[in-house]
Amino acid sequence: MPLWWPLLLASVLFAIGVYGVLARRNAILVLMGVELMLNAVNINLVAFDAYFRDVLHSGQTLALFTIVIAAAEIGLALAIVLMVFRTHGHIEVDELRELADRDVA
Amino acid sequence: MKWVTLLLLLLPFTTAAVTLYAGHRNEGAVKGLAVGGSLLTLGLAFVVAVPQLGDAAPETSVFTKTDALEPVISLATHVDQLSAVMILLASIVSFLVQLYSVGYLHDDPRYPSYATLVSIFTGSMLTVVMADDLWMLLVGWELMGVCSYFLISHHWELAEARAGAVKAFLMTRTADLGLLFAILLIGDRTGSYRITDAVVSAADFELPALLLVVAVIGKSAQFPLHSWLPDAMPGPTPISALIHAATMVAAGVFLVARMYPVFDADSLTLLAVVASITMLVSAFYALVTNDLKRVLAWSTVSQLAYMFAALAVGAWSAAVLHLLAHGAFKALLFLGAGSVVHAVGGRTSMTAMGGLREKLPDTFTTMTVGFGALAGVIPLVGFFSKDAIIHAGLDEVRHHEVIDEQAAWLVLIAMLVTAALTVAYSLRAWLRVFFGPVDPDLEVHESPATMRVPLYLLAVPTVLGGLVFVDPSQVLGERGEESLFHGSMAIAMTALVAVVAALVLYVWWSNDGADPWAPPVEELQPPEDLVYDVVLVRPLHALARAVVIHDREVVDSYANGAGASARGLGWLLRLAQNGSVQQYLMVVVIGAAAIAVAAGVLT
Repeated sequence: MPLWWPLLLASVLFAIGVYGVLARRNAILVLMGVELMLNAVNINLVAFDAYFRDVLHSGQTLALFTIVIAAAEIGLALAIVLMVFRTHGHIEVDELRELADRDVA
Repeated sequence: MKWVTLLLLLLPFTTAAVTLYAGHRNEGAVKGLAVGGSLLTLGLAFVVAVPQLGDAAPETSVFTKTDALEPVISLATHVDQLSAVMILLASIVSFLVQLYSVGYLHDDPRYPSYATLVSIFTGSMLTVVMADDLWMLLVGWELMGVCSYFLISHHWELAEARAGAVKAFLMTRTADLGLLFAILLIGDRTGSYRITDAVVSAADFELPALLLVVAVIGKSAQFPLHSWLPDAMPGPTPISALIHAATMVAAGVFLVARMYPVFDADSLTLLAVVASITMLVSAFYALVTNDLKRVLAWSTVSQLAYMFAALAVGAWSAAVLHLLAHGAFKALLFLGAGSVVHAVGGRTSMTAMGGLREKLPDTFTTMTVGFGALAGVIPLVGFFSKDAIIHAGLDEVRHHEVIDEQAAWLVLIAMLVTAALTVAYSLRAWLRVFFGPVDPDLEVHESPATMRVPLYLLAVPTVLGGLVFVDPSQVLGERGEESLFHGSMAIAMTALVAVVAALVLYVWWSNDGADPWAPPVEELQPPEDLVYDVVLVRPLHALARAVVIHDREVVDSYANGAGASARGLGWLLRLAQNGSVQQYLMVVVIGAAAIAVAAGVLT
């Protein structure tokens, strides 16, 4: 299998993830965008690991590591989303502007 | 011997440190330490100095020197006859001053720091007179300036004490620049900072010698920097005795005497002119001053000018011996004046005194001796030293070996007029303090024994010191070969003293026993001070105000402008912080993409 197949897949996934993070208003969908970006990176890691025939398989190891980090991250993020829903009654990201510099304009 | 010399240098500073440490913990111990330390210094001074008197070879010791610098700076001492007599003078007077101060400042809360500073002062003077290295001499020289500043402002709650201290410091410090530059030039031209090398060197010393004259003009209060010494009078009286007799102002004369071979005709002519002006001007001020201590201060200025005049006409040994004689009788006069001031309750104006001869018998006896020596009454020490100097002036007019004829005439005339004025102002001060009507309201009491004993101790050399002049080589070795006593001169001078004294008494008597020279105002301000005020002080104040305005209007507006522009830029950046996380992220992504594109384009 040529290298550019998985790289193309990873690029497409990453672009979709970026779009999701930047454009979706629902916090859950933003988190899904983040997951897509993380997994695009994982695909890159595994693809290069195989391509270089790394005897230590550091690419695969790092991919596993990323999966663990992603699991922890999503757990924390969902807890935050839950708290936001309880306090605000919605999870619209662009409505959450408490941290703006209110003195300006 | 070498290590005794070093010990003598360090002992006063050690005494100072211990005295300061004892401080207010134990008042009695402080007095014991201060007096005991200076007594020990005195003993060591005898051990070091007495073998060097007479024909002994000078003793030079080098303790350590820098090895990284050319020319080298060394910690070296050179004790010859001149150093020996100066060591004795400084240590004797400072011991007597310490002893006297125990009585004079008996309940002064600042006594510990005072005693400390007196010890440092003594140590600095010993450093100056023993130093063989010019930088070591400069250290002692500057330390004395600092100590005099602190001691003059001892009563710092008085405005005039603060002003006098600042004036003394500024004036001497300005002139000290002359010494600094002279040292650098001497080091540059001879390749050595040692005095013993400089005085035998054949290098061109014209400029350094002139700079040295500038330095001593400041330190020894000569015209045009003479007005700081009378203004230093708000300091405690024993300090005046120390400054005027043995340290500080004496250091200027010592420096010229020590570096004498360096001075050529030009610098000696400058010294002669300065000394002539100074002795006349200050003798006139002494005659019309109301304050007893200021009279003595002006007389010090005048007598120092005598010494410089003697040096300018080549009378080295007469100048040195007059320095010693003056040290003895001026210390006596100041300590006596302190006793009088103490007796009349701290006032120094002679209007508060009068008729004190019966109330203060010991002070009267000793001060009479002191005033007699100042006026040049035979057979007191001042008579011999002054005659030797005037005789040297006469010789110089005849042969003009050192300076040219006009300068020699100027010096001689100034010396004769000053001699007459000295008789007049000494007699006037003596009459006003000890004779005339007694103030009936005054509670007068004779001073304690610690104050009277130094007076009698100082009266001894004042009376017997004349013996030295018969054969000065016993003290000064080969530089004092010639006898300084001249019979015809003695007769002429005694006649001068008698005539002037008779004239003063006649004027006094025809003025109904009142002072004919009492100034119309309580204290005259010397006109030179007005000149300084117009030429220096006011332009400086104006300049300072201009600087303040410039600072406020120009510098501050730049600083404020910088602050305002930073604030404006910050306001623009604050607009970006609108709380929308997604917009922030958008900026991050665009930025990252831009960097990636830029990296791709550039590589």
